[in-house]
Amino acid sequence: MRILIVEDDELVADALKRGLEGSGFAVDRVGSAESAEAALSAEEFDLALVDIGLPKTDGLTLVRKLRRAGNDLPVLILTARDALADRVDALDLGADDYLTKPFELPEVAARCRALIRRTRSATSAELHIGRLTLDLKSRTATLGGAPLEVTRREWSILECLALDAGRVVRKEKLLRAIASWDEELTPNAVEVYVSRLRAKLGEAVSIRTVRGLGYRLDEPAA
Amino acid sequence: MLLLVPLGGLLLLAVLFDYLVVVGPMRSTFDRSLADAAVVFAAYVRETPDGGVAMTLPEPLARQLAEVQGTRPRVALFGADGRYLTGDAGLPAPSAGSAGSGAFSFATAALGNEERLRVVWYRFEAGPRALVLAVGEPLGDREDATRPLVTATLTLDVLQLVAVVALVLIGVRQGLRPLLEFRDELTRRQDRGLEPLDESRAPQELKPLVAALNGLLARMQATAESQQKFVADAAHQLRTPLAGMQAQLELLERDAQALPVRDQVRAVREGLKRLAHTAHQLLTLARAEGSATLERDFAAVDLRALAEEAVAQYLDRALGKHIDLGAEAAAAEVRGVEWLLRELLGNLVDNALHYTPAGGIVTVRTGPCGDGAFLEVEDDGPGIPPEERPRVLERFHRAPGAGGTGSGLGLAIVSDIVALHGARLDLGAGAGGRGTRVRVEFGVGESAREA
Repeated sequence: MRILIVEDDELVADALKRGLEGSGFAVDRVGSAESAEAALSAEEFDLALVDIGLPKTDGLTLVRKLRRAGNDLPVLILTARDALADRVDALDLGADDYLTKPFELPEVAARCRALIRRTRSATSAELHIGRLTLDLKSRTATLGGAPLEVTRREWSILECLALDAGRVVRKEKLLRAIASWDEELTPNAVEVYVSRLRAKLGEAVSIRTVRGLGYRLDEPAA
Repeated sequence: MLLLVPLGGLLLLAVLFDYLVVVGPMRSTFDRSLADAAVVFAAYVRETPDGGVAMTLPEPLARQLAEVQGTRPRVALFGADGRYLTGDAGLPAPSAGSAGSGAFSFATAALGNEERLRVVWYRFEAGPRALVLAVGEPLGDREDATRPLVTATLTLDVLQLVAVVALVLIGVRQGLRPLLEFRDELTRRQDRGLEPLDESRAPQELKPLVAALNGLLARMQATAESQQKFVADAAHQLRTPLAGMQAQLELLERDAQALPVRDQVRAVREGLKRLAHTAHQLLTLARAEGSATLERDFAAVDLRALAEEAVAQYLDRALGKHIDLGAEAAAAEVRGVEWLLRELLGNLVDNALHYTPAGGIVTVRTGPCGDGAFLEVEDDGPGIPPEERPRVLERFHRAPGAGGTGSGLGLAIVSDIVALHGARLDLGAGAGGRGTRVRVEFGVGESAREA
């Protein structure tokens, strides 16, 4: 997976490059929006990590230009400002996610992975989370290459959680995902299916309960 | 009120003056007609054959006189030396004077029976003899005649006085009303009203004042905005190098082969993290003060969404500390500044996670409360002793035994943000008297301020 870092601050850019390389990404870095455009038109990338505060053209303008040109490359915005307006702008302009400085490198890597996974699942219909692979078309799962037996409802919940891996998925959303079929279901039903899934998945991925909210599926820490 | 005392005095003086102006001329008019009567009577004084004097007024004349005078006048004749000659014996004798013929003198005389008389003495000559004719008129009659006039005048004066006082009061109140309304509006906007006042709605007399105030407000707003910009720029300039150093240290720590070096790097990184946190909090404080003065920053905020977002955001930290972080969030909407409320909640959760030991429980709650909404964060940590509670809200205050981390700014920020929203902060113990529960109640006033 190849990432383009667009950041003018030497210290930050260097740390991001080495940190992400350490997490298994191929990384290129440029220091301005202009050179980013040149790099993006010449090479294929899976994601761009764009700082808002760039020297000439700022990061938000770069994102807007990319989207206008029909480029749907996933973009993770980096900002040193925490003003709400900036975040809203970033997402409105077509950025996929944002991170505020200062950040921790594992967090950056996790966000990049999640973003790339989400974009790929839309095109390839295959989802990889650690040793778990979901085939969204045939609705089948494999764990470390071996088929994983799941019921249709378990599948629905697993798919929901996997598509938003690393993020909290509300219990109501999971309930809606399985409720379309037959009888009345209580939120307890979700708990039952989740605990069955946990037993089947073992250590491969973890499904955490977030009390009062829902669940979060996480890849085991590298 | 200060105006009424001199005004009342002035009006009373006017009443007195009216009285004198009306009563004075009337007295001299009455006196003159009394003197006229005396002259008429004097024309009918005759010497009697026996050497005495007699006074006979033809009856029609007497009647006419009585009609003019309103009463039949009392008449007496005296010698120039004051000796009584004839007529009404009840009239007082003239003082023996040397005044020449044709002179009048007046006096008010009291009779025995409580009656008072106005008397005129007229000196004249009848043939060779010098005589004094006295004509008396009961003063009561005069008073009866003048009373309606005096009463009317004084009544008018008093009515006028009352009317003037009333008009002044109404006028002053009416005149001050725009000013009072203006004051009320200024009071209402409290601390966040830097928007210009509506000049078109101000009364004509106040327009220059409103314009001047708007100038001042505009300058203040410009100052607030430039301060906001400065803080935003400062945030940017501080965060980028901090992010760079922190990330570099992270890599250094990961790559360090020797254990002592790794520990040192970790210590530096922790210190840097605290520095970054404190810088963020200081910037938040600075921005909070400027931001919430602008009414346009206030909007409807979904507290439940903020609570769920905070739980999701702090989940990793909670998992790392083996703390069960959860939400009990019901729908709750308030009017507020979203990023400030996010900071508020973040600080509360951050504090709770900081002070709660491993295995503890931290819960974020939102919901309706009265006509407003509430937000609270509860933990089952060591809690804050009641005597410490007021002081933990102070800036840079650190609870005893709070350990080496924390800036002492978290709850001060919370307290500031609560104040900016006109909300109420309650710091208490959690369920069963254990831990800490921080509750923020947003009143109906806050949600109604939009109207």
